[in-house]
Amino acid sequence: MNCKFNFGRKKALLLLSGLLCLLAASAGAQTSSGQLTITMNVQSSITLVFQNNPSVGTTGFCPLTNAGTNNVGLDLGTASFPGNSHSSACVNYTHLTGAVYEVSSAFDVVVTKANSSSPNYRLAAQISTPPPANVTWLLNNVTLTTAGFTTLDTTDNYSAPITKTLQVQVKNTVAAQVLLETITFLATAN
Amino acid sequence: MLKNYISNMRGAVLAALMLCGASLVAQTTATGVINGSLVNKNGISIQFDTDAAGVTLGAAGTSAATANFGAVSAFGPLSGGVTRPSVTAANFTVRTIFDVQVVQGGLTSTTYTLAANLAAAAPTGLSYKVDAVTLTTASQTIQVNGSYNTDIAHNLDLVVSTAAPGAGGPAVGAPITTTINFTATAN
Repeated sequence: MNCKFNFGRKKALLLLSGLLCLLAASAGAQTSSGQLTITMNVQSSITLVFQNNPSVGTTGFCPLTNAGTNNVGLDLGTASFPGNSHSSACVNYTHLTGAVYEVSSAFDVVVTKANSSSPNYRLAAQISTPPPANVTWLLNNVTLTTAGFTTLDTTDNYSAPITKTLQVQVKNTVAAQVLLETITFLATAN
Repeated sequence: MLKNYISNMRGAVLAALMLCGASLVAQTTATGVINGSLVNKNGISIQFDTDAAGVTLGAAGTSAATANFGAVSAFGPLSGGVTRPSVTAANFTVRTIFDVQVVQGGLTSTTYTLAANLAAAAPTGLSYKVDAVTLTTASQTIQVNGSYNTDIAHNLDLVVSTAAPGAGGPAVGAPITTTINFTATAN
C-alpha cells in the first residue's frame, strides 16, 4: 500500500517536472543571428581650399566669393592706367613703371592631409588661357603661363594658411577689355 | 423441349451477366485514410538586404552578407552608395545604409530587439557604428521594437582616424575587413 502511494507520487513528480521543462522551453526567447562582413580600403588624401585672409576688406585683401571651398571667385574691379584709377577699394593699385600698372589682392591657401605621413607639400599654379599681349598674371611675383604648372612653393606646411597675392600687370597700350583667367592650383604631397 | 432448353439457357446467361456486373461494381470503390501530422515549431530568422541608398550587399537576402565600402578617404571620391557625412581634423566618417529583415513564425511576439557586436576588436584607427551606437565586442542593443517581415534601414558608419599609419591611423592601401554579428530576439 505504502509502496503504491510512493510510486504514485513519483509519477506525479515526473509529470510535473516534464510540464515545467516544456513550459521553460516555450518561455525561452527566440533568437536568430546573422553576420555582416565589411571591407574597405583606406586611402591617403589631401584637399585644398581658398580662404579669406584675416585682413580681408583692407587694401590688398579683397573678399573671395565662395570662400572655404576649392572653387572661388576674386573680383579685382575696374582699373585703368591714367590717374591711378581703380574701382575696388580692396585692391592694391600700383604704377610699376611709366607705362605699366598692377592691381593685386591676397588670399590664403590651406591644404589639409589625412592618413598620410607626408611632411609637407608642393604648390603650383597655371592659368587657363594665354592673356592678351602686355598683360601678365602672377602669384607672389611668379609669372603664370598656360604651358604647365609653375611651382610656387616646395615645402608648404599642411593645415597652415599660405598667403598668396594675385597680381595682374597691364601695360597702358592694352585695349579696354575684360581680363579673365581661371587659375588652377595644384598641391602635391611630398 | 427445345423451347425449355433455350429458356433455361437464357436465364442462366442473364444470371451470369448480373453476377459479373455486381462483382464489377464492388471493385470500383475503395476507402483509405491518411493519418497526417505536423509539428509546427516557432522560430525567427534574420537576413540582410540591400538598401536603395546603400552599397549593394554581397549575398543579400541571407544571414551572412558582405558590404564593400571600396576605397575610402577624407577628401577623395567614394564608391556609389557610400557617403561622407562628416570630416574633422581628427577623423572622417563614411556611411552606407543596409536593411535588416526579421521574419517570425509561430510566435505571439509582435516586435524584436536587434543587437550587434564586433566579432573581433576594431582595427587601429577605426570604429564602427550602427545607428550611432559604437560597436564593441560586447553585444549592444541597436533597436528595441523592430517590426517583423519588413526591411528596416540602418546606418552603418565607419569612423576613420585621419592620423597617418603608425601614428594612430589605420593601415593605408590595404583591404581592412571586419565582421559584425547581429542578433534578433523576439520580444
